[in-house]
Amino acid sequence: MKSLVNGYGRGLVALFFGAVALWGILLIILPQLTMLERAITAPKRQLDSSIALNLRQDANTCISVLQTFETPVEGSGANGGIAIPSASGMAVPSASAMAVPSASGMAVPSATGAATGKTRPYILQCDRATTRKQMVRDGGTKVWLNELYDLPLLAVSDSDPISRQIEIAKEIAEQSETLYGRLKEVESSAFPYTSQNFKWLFAARQIPLSQEQRAIEDAKLSKQLFGLVGLRFERDGEIYERIGLITLTRTLSFAIMATTLALVLCYPMAYKVALATPPDRAMWLFLGLVIPYAIVELMRVYAWTTIIDNQGLINGFLTWAGVIEDPIQFKRMPGTIFVVIVYTYVLFMVFPIYNVMSTLDKNQIEAAKDLGASALRVHRRIIIPHSKPGIAVGCIATFMLAAGAFSVPRIISRGLQAEWFSQTIYNKFFESENSNVGAAYSFTYTLVCFVIVALFMWIMRTRLKDFARVQ
Amino acid sequence: MHGKDVRLEGVQITYPNGFTAVQPTDLTIKAGEFFSILGPSGCGKTTILRTVSGFVEPTAGRVLIGGEDMRGIAPNGRPTALIFQNLALFPLMPVWENVAFGLESRGVPKAARRSKALELLDLVALRDQADKKPGELSGGQRQRVAIARALAVEPAVLLLDEPLSALDLKLRQHMRAELREIQRKTGVTFIYITHDQGEALTMSDRIAVMNNGVIEQVGTGDEIYSEPRTAFAASFVGEANQMQGRVCGLDGDMAVIETAQGRLLGRNPCGLKDGDEAMLFVRPEALVWASSRAPDTNRLIARPVRRDLEGSFVNIVLRTNTGANLTMHQVNTGAEIDMESDASVRFPCEQAVVLPKGPLAQTGQELAAQ
Repeated sequence: MKSLVNGYGRGLVALFFGAVALWGILLIILPQLTMLERAITAPKRQLDSSIALNLRQDANTCISVLQTFETPVEGSGANGGIAIPSASGMAVPSASAMAVPSASGMAVPSATGAATGKTRPYILQCDRATTRKQMVRDGGTKVWLNELYDLPLLAVSDSDPISRQIEIAKEIAEQSETLYGRLKEVESSAFPYTSQNFKWLFAARQIPLSQEQRAIEDAKLSKQLFGLVGLRFERDGEIYERIGLITLTRTLSFAIMATTLALVLCYPMAYKVALATPPDRAMWLFLGLVIPYAIVELMRVYAWTTIIDNQGLINGFLTWAGVIEDPIQFKRMPGTIFVVIVYTYVLFMVFPIYNVMSTLDKNQIEAAKDLGASALRVHRRIIIPHSKPGIAVGCIATFMLAAGAFSVPRIISRGLQAEWFSQTIYNKFFESENSNVGAAYSFTYTLVCFVIVALFMWIMRTRLKDFARVQ
Repeated sequence: MHGKDVRLEGVQITYPNGFTAVQPTDLTIKAGEFFSILGPSGCGKTTILRTVSGFVEPTAGRVLIGGEDMRGIAPNGRPTALIFQNLALFPLMPVWENVAFGLESRGVPKAARRSKALELLDLVALRDQADKKPGELSGGQRQRVAIARALAVEPAVLLLDEPLSALDLKLRQHMRAELREIQRKTGVTFIYITHDQGEALTMSDRIAVMNNGVIEQVGTGDEIYSEPRTAFAASFVGEANQMQGRVCGLDGDMAVIETAQGRLLGRNPCGLKDGDEAMLFVRPEALVWASSRAPDTNRLIARPVRRDLEGSFVNIVLRTNTGANLTMHQVNTGAEIDMESDASVRFPCEQAVVLPKGPLAQTGQELAAQ
């Protein structure tokens, strides 16, 4: 510290430490804290107040739609955009096939059914405007809004006259409005955090399987392994799987396998370039390694699709050679993903190892050989111990990149394989709009990866200061 | 431990880039001998060492150790051990594992390895440092660890590649004596590479002087110093005043050489003939002040221009009227030297030697200019 101040002056050192602190706070601590807070907050839409609020909104919409029917109008064009038939179809008036979908494809029953005595078509929001709302509770216990908060059982019935329906809807809106205000007050003073989001990760899902499918699944080694560690189990003759955990485990094991494969490839490569080739020729080897990295990552991944596609290079060649008739479905094989991952991130393994290895005094290798050591012993006792920090850094970098890989599994598998955990997180955030669960997944993932890295460093007996040797 | 003899028969080494580091060379190193190869950097001495140890295969000729042809035998199969210039200790292993590494490679069990390593560390007086890492030791201690490590494999030939060059003067002098002692105790053949003539002269039984891939002369230290056979050997080992000229007369085993400083007489060990281009070498300590009664032969007139006190002797630089510099060593008696007027110096003809003209060792001035 003192030498730093002496070397660079107080101002520059302060600036440096300030920048480091700012970086740490803005880019590591703050995002993680935000993520953690999100992860332990219950999803807003599951709160009782949110349900009351939704009820009020439904009731209000119902009212405004119903008001267009107070003076009966022939034809349904005016409300086509709002009234949506329920999926169950149960509320569709008169099954007498009089309801003809409108030409617009919105499947709005025509109001020509007036002949049956009904005065309005089906309106989703009116259907939903009832105080008998189910609340979101753990373990699927059924709790109803009206019973829980002592509200009268109110529902908009389409058999009532329109004016009566509006009256009831107004009543519901009023009731839910007051309830919302009350609940909001209660919730703002209640303890806001929950571990509910994390439970989703461990939740088991029933997997519907036919007998034959089940026999096939049961025979799979991976499924048996999942069964062994309790990620897959049978209850009442049905198969359950902890999907979240299974995805997590699969992704981590693939990432570890990809890292191992990269290490197995890169160690000899780094050795060859750093120690076993005269410097003038090593440059060409090196160039060969670097050039692919002048291409953007996405392009490198896409390039693989031209190789592995059904009409791709490999299949094309094999078909032409008459070896196969139907193309091999590479994009359905998990192996393809981690081969591509290895290719994509191999340089993050090669460079740290190369850097450390090239600092090894070649005399040490010669000395060891001179003392009678075999090539294997030279590697085991001299080169590997020296390169350990580089190997550790390379493994950590490759592992983290592989574990967080998003583009590779997405582009290569195109949805034809089980998703990687990174995709699961993305989907939670942006596809199912459940950012709290997404945050819980993401935070857990960060922690698990951190633990794996720490464990790895402990096994490798590398300390942080060793990393200083990796330039 | 027993030393073995090393024979080089017509060994020539040409690198893939076409550079011939060692011209065809015959050399015999006797068993149990402390043999030094002395030469300036780049003269090919390290290449010879690497050829003996097996890291370099000779382009032509063969290497025999104990009468056995070493062709095709890898370094780990030869009865040699090499001590590197930078020692190349394994920094991540404790000292005793360093020493025991050769035994480890031979599959000796751990307990036996350790006791043998401690025994060797005893030999170099480092037993108490056995569990430290090499980085925690001083330069001299590391040096001794390297020696112990090389001796652990009980080599017949120990090859040392300028191992003392990184040490400071006092330690270097001490280590010379220690190396000599270890060599005497173990009886192993030592081949010692150095560019430091002091090291070669003090330690070696015999010395080979090497230049540009050629061994110029092999002999004991006394022979090399007093009876150099080539201009290079004369100029590289020790200091020498040199005068260039042409042989103009023979007198038994003496030769007269015509130089810019006049006719001078010296021994003629190479059998030069009348008219041959030649150089006369005379050591600074052979120069003496000439009294008026002294004979005229080998008398030079010069003016002292510098007096450097070296401690036990005084180094006097004189300039002749033709502009040549002479160096003269005088025992330091505290006598004043007249720096103002010309003086007369001479040297006995037995202590001067006339050699064929040839390349000289670079002077300090030339080295500094590089």
